[in-house]
Amino acid sequence: MAVRAEQIPVGRARPLTARVRGWLDRESVLGPVFVSPALILLVLLVAYPFVMALYFAMSNSFIGRPSEFIGFRNFIRLWDSDAFRQTFQNAFVFTGIAVAFKVVLGIILALLLNEQLWFKRMIRGAVLLPWVIPTALSTLGWWWMFNSLYSVVNWTGLALGLMDPPGPNWLGQRYYAMAAVIIVNVWRGLPFFAITILAGLVAIPKEIYEAAHADGAGANARFWHITLPMLKPVLAVVVLFSTIFTFSDFNIVYVLTHGGPVNSTHLFATLSRMLVIDVGRLGEGAAVSLYLFPLLVFVVWAQLRFVRKHAN
Amino acid sequence: MGPYNRRQFLTTTGAGLAGILATRVAPARGQQREISYLCWNNFAPASDKKLAEIGQRFTKDTGIKLKIDHISHMGPQQAKYASEVQTQAGHDMVEMRMHFPWLYEPQLVDVSDVVAGLEKQYGKAVGSAYEGAHVNGVWRAVPQYHGMFVAAYREDLFKKASLKVPDTWEELYVVGKELKKMGNPVGIPISQNYDSISTAGPVLWSFGGLEVDKDGKTVKINSPGTVQTVEWYKKMFKDCMEPEVLSWSDASNNESLQQGKAGWIHNPVSAYIVAKQRKLVTADLINHHRSLGGPGGRHETDTPRHIGIWKFSKNIDASKEWIKYLLGKREVYDEYIMSGDAFNLPAYEKLQDHPVLRTDPKYAHLRGEGVQYHTYGWPAPASDRVQLITNSYILPNMMAKAVTGTSTKDAIAWAENEMKKIIAG
Repeated sequence: MAVRAEQIPVGRARPLTARVRGWLDRESVLGPVFVSPALILLVLLVAYPFVMALYFAMSNSFIGRPSEFIGFRNFIRLWDSDAFRQTFQNAFVFTGIAVAFKVVLGIILALLLNEQLWFKRMIRGAVLLPWVIPTALSTLGWWWMFNSLYSVVNWTGLALGLMDPPGPNWLGQRYYAMAAVIIVNVWRGLPFFAITILAGLVAIPKEIYEAAHADGAGANARFWHITLPMLKPVLAVVVLFSTIFTFSDFNIVYVLTHGGPVNSTHLFATLSRMLVIDVGRLGEGAAVSLYLFPLLVFVVWAQLRFVRKHAN
Repeated sequence: MGPYNRRQFLTTTGAGLAGILATRVAPARGQQREISYLCWNNFAPASDKKLAEIGQRFTKDTGIKLKIDHISHMGPQQAKYASEVQTQAGHDMVEMRMHFPWLYEPQLVDVSDVVAGLEKQYGKAVGSAYEGAHVNGVWRAVPQYHGMFVAAYREDLFKKASLKVPDTWEELYVVGKELKKMGNPVGIPISQNYDSISTAGPVLWSFGGLEVDKDGKTVKINSPGTVQTVEWYKKMFKDCMEPEVLSWSDASNNESLQQGKAGWIHNPVSAYIVAKQRKLVTADLINHHRSLGGPGGRHETDTPRHIGIWKFSKNIDASKEWIKYLLGKREVYDEYIMSGDAFNLPAYEKLQDHPVLRTDPKYAHLRGEGVQYHTYGWPAPASDRVQLITNSYILPNMMAKAVTGTSTKDAIAWAENEMKKIIAG
């Protein structure tokens, strides 16, 4: 319906909608309005829990009891704990081996996916499956495969004559148990590496390869002198994220081994859970979970610096 | 009374709402009391169904609405306790296992009045229930039922090899060697779970060892009794078991017996009950015998369960009414116990010879005369620090270290050091 100009009363205040529109036209108002939901979420879901964790880590807090501030005593006392020292070592072994495998296998898989394959889209989709399935659920499947009573891994190995009966005790012997959690972590994290590296591969201009080919460079030379250097920024970001996620992994170890046997697969998150939930020591548990924070901040800083330097 | 006009309606409802907000009390008319109860998924599932049925009858009889929630075994249950206590919100009542009332003592209501009534009716609470829920002179939870560890074995295999049912842990070693040769090893978990502690404790006690003294302060794990226990575990692991026991969860020994692998396990009757319910071929082959003894006597871990009421609950009286309804009415309590198929036994002395033990000839040994039942950490009082020793899995980790290459002396020294750190606080 058309509104005639004479219907708008002259001299009256502007309607509310017009005033709101006026405010929103100002950048100084609109900016904070857009940013505030994210800011509120960050404060509630990241900053608040982080500050609480800091507070707990510096207290002798025990579930359901009053606590006192004890400074850095939890962080120092943890070194007396056999379980913590073992966990510290486990975290570096687990992360180092798992990330190394994910980088190498991720590059190989990305190179394969970059080739002209039949059912290319379907294969690329299928590769993502381990990344898409909820970790706890897929790890339960792996637990069943490694379980001493039902292990299909051992059954297959024995049937093919690759193992001696009764086969490896995957979850009960320390090195096998560590191998098992690393295998599952690599299986789960590989798609993230492969797909991200694939995106990096696709972005490399074809002309560079054509020029190298014309100059007589073979496949090996092209990979070492073109592909890998051009992938460096992508690899740095992927390794950065993966290092953080792998260090803080919880689901895989919790479902597969519960940190056993004798703490040999505990990571910071699972040990922290045990101390807080099973034992009730909130303070010590929070200190365990925060132990690597300074180191991870350094890793983030160093890698982002590398990426920025490369970009410049 | 004529119809309200809009002004009258707004005035009346506005005044009422202001009154409710000012007094923070809802009007009596239309107000229904509602309580909530968190308990575990019982290993005898029929028991959970019966509990729901009794709950509905309770609501009908008393007008108090009851909401029962179930949660799976130990891990999630403990996480839930912790979050409810930290946030001071959640269920009114929680089912607590063994010594948990000690860990949550400051958060639990004194229920001594309810327990006094039940003890008057049924006799004293069984020793393990007393050890677990009677905290510093006050009942912090009401004993609900208990289930002890017994020996479950493959009767057919014993008959086939003419094996004698063992009476001591040493005799089990003799039998275990034969069972392993037959491909049916003994199944005692040596991993970070509660079943591992439930067996390690009785073996230790039966060899005359202990973790912490009666004073609750002096660590006594480094003793000849512990040396004998560790040596027994080492030879059992080598000659009677398979390394898989190092990776087992609480359910693994049950599954191993049910699937026809293990020839002997140490467990409550749940392995048999589930085999029977699922109509597994092994159900007919399993039988039980009482727990084993040693030079230090015949001791056994018991698993009493209690109902606690959180102090933050706003429905403490209504919660007590539910507990009295479930446990204080003899016919209701009997009905509840019978539904558990001998997995949940009454927690009071006069009810120990309960009809549920006569429902199946394989429950005959559950009465276990001469067996001393304890909660974890005995003979130390079940204090929070003693229970921290339990929850840190020091006992099974000590055994695991010893059976995987650490010397007996070093494994015990490690356990002693860990226990001393906990007791020192």
